[in-house]
Amino acid sequence: MSEELLFLVVDDSRLHHQMYDIIFSKPPFQGARVLHAANGREGYALFATHPELTMVFLDLNMPEMNGLEFLARRRAEQLHPHVPVVLVTTESTPADEARGRDAGAWEYLRKPFTPEDIQRLVARARPAPRA
Amino acid sequence: MPPAPSPTPDEHPFAELIRDYVAECLPLAERVTDTLIALERRWAAGDPAEEEFAPLKGWLHTIKGNSAMMGLVPLQELAHALEDVWGLLAARPELRPRAADLLLRGSGLLADLIRSAETAPPDAGLAAAFREEARAFLGAAPGAAPGPERRQGERRQGERRQSVALPESDTVRVTSRRLDQLLEIFGEAIVAQASLEEAARALGVRAGARDDLAALDRALTALQRTLRRFERAVMEVRLMPVATVFGRFGRLVRDLARAEGKQVRLETTGGETQLDKTIIDRIGEPLVHLVTNAVIHGIEPPAERVRRGKPDEAVITLAAISRSDRVLIEVRDDGRGLDLERIRVKASALGVTPASDDPEDLYALAFLPGLSTTDEVSELAGRGVGLDVVAGSVRALGGGVRVTSTPGAGTTFTLTLPLTVAVVRSLLVGVGEERYAVPLRDVMATFRVEPERLHAIDGRQMTLWQGMPIPVADATALLGVPAWAPPARRYCVVLSASGRPRGLLVDRLLGHRDLVAKPLDPALGRPPAIAGAAILGDGRVTCLLDAAQLGVVREAESGRAPIAPGRR
Repeated sequence: MSEELLFLVVDDSRLHHQMYDIIFSKPPFQGARVLHAANGREGYALFATHPELTMVFLDLNMPEMNGLEFLARRRAEQLHPHVPVVLVTTESTPADEARGRDAGAWEYLRKPFTPEDIQRLVARARPAPRA
Repeated sequence: MPPAPSPTPDEHPFAELIRDYVAECLPLAERVTDTLIALERRWAAGDPAEEEFAPLKGWLHTIKGNSAMMGLVPLQELAHALEDVWGLLAARPELRPRAADLLLRGSGLLADLIRSAETAPPDAGLAAAFREEARAFLGAAPGAAPGPERRQGERRQGERRQSVALPESDTVRVTSRRLDQLLEIFGEAIVAQASLEEAARALGVRAGARDDLAALDRALTALQRTLRRFERAVMEVRLMPVATVFGRFGRLVRDLARAEGKQVRLETTGGETQLDKTIIDRIGEPLVHLVTNAVIHGIEPPAERVRRGKPDEAVITLAAISRSDRVLIEVRDDGRGLDLERIRVKASALGVTPASDDPEDLYALAFLPGLSTTDEVSELAGRGVGLDVVAGSVRALGGGVRVTSTPGAGTTFTLTLPLTVAVVRSLLVGVGEERYAVPLRDVMATFRVEPERLHAIDGRQMTLWQGMPIPVADATALLGVPAWAPPARRYCVVLSASGRPRGLLVDRLLGHRDLVAKPLDPALGRPPAIAGAAILGDGRVTCLLDAAQLGVVREAESGRAPIAPGRR
């Protein structure tokens, strides 16, 4: 796994992309690269071509392939199982979360989230300190 | 999960995105409102309108998520309450007609709160009050117990949902304050350039032709070219689509029409037309005025419309049209039209006669200050409510308003707006010892006039221009310039006053200048025929003349030359 941080954000809200950009432009992420996709279909294309991804932030509710459809396809195609995919929702019940995990989500992230929430998730996924 | 962060702008991690939040969520909220207005009509006709109904949830969901992220809890909860009502209606189409009003109030409130989120924290009380209402509606519907997540219909909604444009890698965010700053600095550069040119001219006069002066000239020309490009670049980054203004009118028209017992549909075209941010910020109010007038005074009650053989549903159209150096915004209605005779009678009661019997000159009277307040507003000619205020605010932006009307068929107001607000290309004229600037966009021609080419007709000065008689006003009297013996040969500047040629007699023509316009201090009131102030290269301030004010001619008792309205 490369030491370079590379994130994929899949969300249909432009504002959310800007928020991720803010988070990833500040410590401890400065220098990280971010790929942006406006829907699941675009996101999946980027996902497929970037096995080196550090983490994927995948919105649940999206036009053109929602988060669960994304995960289902990834499972069917056995694509990059080592890349942690975080499913992002505005609100969800425990049953929803179980469904997401069954579909292959590594973790759930609920809005509103903070930069610290993202930092914790990344730290958990990559326990080794950055070189 | 920690509780939602409080919306204090300084602490919130995404506070800097508040403008982007508004930019993304406001159009969504307005789309919800517009869709609901269309749905209300179809529901009333017994059509569940499933395919139009479905995408609403996605928009509300995005607003909810975005509001949550921004820490705007009242907005998050308001969007949530609307989603809940939506959820019930998805399962129970028969309840839809009854919910339309509630949903519209909610989406209107949502848009209002989003719009003001940039300047103030959202009003939690208003949002809470609506949530109560929504809860009452949900409680009153038997068998309705919507959970927090209802996923049915989600995929269908996804297909129709419009995806929000992604940030491109070459896009950056800039706050509006920075944009204004840029404009201000550019204005200073223009003034500095003008002083430099004046200094160079003075130097040239004293030193005569010399090689180093020629080099100075070349440098100045290059600077001027660069500043032109700079201006274009500054203006381009300030452009915003007119749709950001048009968006709020759907609900306004619907609410007003309902209150008036009328049926009115709003149509908008040309929303993608772009205008300077300052104009976008300030054009809303005059448009609200015109649209309100159209609904209340222009449009007939349904029964009267049917009697006249018109469809009972009236149409108000907001249209933006791009012209090379300006943008036209039209407010059209298919109502009863202006009552010219009433306008003439009222104007004459104010001591004003039209410049001619041409309908355009008669319509121009509708913009007279005080014309509307003389009668109760509900009468036919009460159409003039505050039109002078509308005209004033549009002129303050360097624009103009015209009105045309066909009795029985409707009225069209046309706002002409400049693309740029920074620089006014002007003709500098001398009147007595004073210098005034006339915006070049208003100047149709200039020519020298001999005294014998001025004719008094009906006590009004006229001259011939292109074989056609045009009324002429003497700038000395019009502007109250101190006693002055004008030169024998003077100049006539032909101005386009609301599209009609009007002559202005001045003493000298002093050339073209790019001026940086400054609004007049409101404490000065609104001096007649003056649109604003501008700084000249020598640092002196000059007044920008307002050509539109020359369109209406008042006959002063003193028998002096005609003066503009508003002058007592």
